[in-house]
Amino acid sequence: MVNVQNVTFSYTRQTELLSNLSLKLEAGRIHGLLGKNGEGKSTLLKLISGLDFPKSGSIDTLGFNPVKRNPIMLQEIFFLPEELPQLTLSIENYEKVYAPFYPSFSTEQFNAYLKEFDIDNKKSMLNKLSHGQKKKVFIAFGLATNTKLLLMDEPTNGLDIPSKGQFRRMVASAIDENRCLIISTHQVHDLDSLIDSITVMEKHEIVFNQPIEEITKKLLFRVADRDDKNESVIYGEDTLRGLYQVCENKTGEESKLDIELLFNAILSEKNRIVNLFK
Amino acid sequence: MNTILNINRLGLLLKRYFVENKKRELTFWGIATVIFMLMHLTGSTEKSASVEIFLYISGLIFAARTFKIFGYTPGGMHFLLIPATHFEKLVSGIILNTFYYFGMILITYAIGTVFGTVAGNIFFETSNPIQFAFFHFDPSVNITGHAGENLFSKFIAFALIQSVFMVGSLHFKRNAAGQTFLALSVFFIILVSIELLLLKATFGTYHLNGQMINLSISGDDLLFKSKLVGSIIKYSLIPFFWIVAYFRLIEKQV
Repeated sequence: MVNVQNVTFSYTRQTELLSNLSLKLEAGRIHGLLGKNGEGKSTLLKLISGLDFPKSGSIDTLGFNPVKRNPIMLQEIFFLPEELPQLTLSIENYEKVYAPFYPSFSTEQFNAYLKEFDIDNKKSMLNKLSHGQKKKVFIAFGLATNTKLLLMDEPTNGLDIPSKGQFRRMVASAIDENRCLIISTHQVHDLDSLIDSITVMEKHEIVFNQPIEEITKKLLFRVADRDDKNESVIYGEDTLRGLYQVCENKTGEESKLDIELLFNAILSEKNRIVNLFK
Repeated sequence: MNTILNINRLGLLLKRYFVENKKRELTFWGIATVIFMLMHLTGSTEKSASVEIFLYISGLIFAARTFKIFGYTPGGMHFLLIPATHFEKLVSGIILNTFYYFGMILITYAIGTVFGTVAGNIFFETSNPIQFAFFHFDPSVNITGHAGENLFSKFIAFALIQSVFMVGSLHFKRNAAGQTFLALSVFFIILVSIELLLLKATFGTYHLNGQMINLSISGDDLLFKSKLVGSIIKYSLIPFFWIVAYFRLIEKQV
């Protein structure tokens, strides 16, 4: 679905934001793109959608070169940016104007998603809505476009607590084997149960890209006693609730993935974790 | 599917513009009609120049706003991701800032002239005839009979200005009208400087008047050819700037 090969990108000549980055993303999955601020997560999404052009390397998005911004490709992509555009349109008119560009758009789905987000009045003006409300409209619209590729940059930023749960439910129901969703986020807890593939960016490179089943097969996430000295421990965090650890899963034991812990473990013990997955 | 120009997508882009700017359009054209009415309260003669100034100035401001959306990154992202080709996006911009704008000026001018002249006649108890001086349709105003050509020349000049300022709207993120105007001023200053230098080099003076030149043009042929070249340059500049705008749009990153 998305194939990024040896891509280098920079906004200025001096600093490279992405260097020799390669990544392959499959359909039917929700990919979580994680990384610290300024690592180039949003830029990667822009490159995939054709908003920015790589300095070198190649990108294949849905079989197209995104640089060309072919309308056949664009009608199968929906990008929800972190900062939303200022449009002086009602929700109703937004749908009227933009839905015809997306051949698989479903008004029924759009209405259902809006209802789930408790947005009843489609006559509301987008520029009069709060950031969170506006984000809900764009999420609902994006899911209703039924595009093959959905790119979301910090989708839960600005959403209230109940809406985050609604968002998870909606996304989970909207994704099928033909669609691919890439979510770039810092709010890993919001998407804990949603993401089924994790990609971590560090120092402008992809350092980790694995499906959840593979992660939980090779890593064990557990809460241990403070005096537990296990040599298979890769990384640990001492919290009030105990010692949270990421260990090598030598016994094939099942555990619940803790994305935040995994992310911190990758940043702290990158080589050890990367070698485990080789 | 056509990946160059699809009329349906072009129609959707135009619809998008009108739905998003309905209020602003109605307000602007309402004000324009009132301005034309006020202009013609005291008769219709010798108003053509004022109408032209209004057309060119308001037009260039409109053209400089064609791709204003790129001044704001999320807006630019939203625009570039609309599933339509760059060509369709450009053509919709050209239709709006050149053909639609010129057409609307003519319509509001005609309405304003009729209502303004009639209202003026009633209020000031005059009997001014309704004359569309800007069109030069009335044979009593323009006896040369070149009415159509005159309007066409105005349209060509207008289209040229619009094409330049549309490129400006793609090139400059903020205050495109002002910055394009500045860029044009600098360009013309350079052009005049070169001309003055050539004058100095050829005739030894910066101050040239008719008596000092003795140009010898052999026959009408050369004059005709030079006129032809001038016309070709004039007409080809419009598509030239459209093509520049197209390439600017293609290479646009946000």
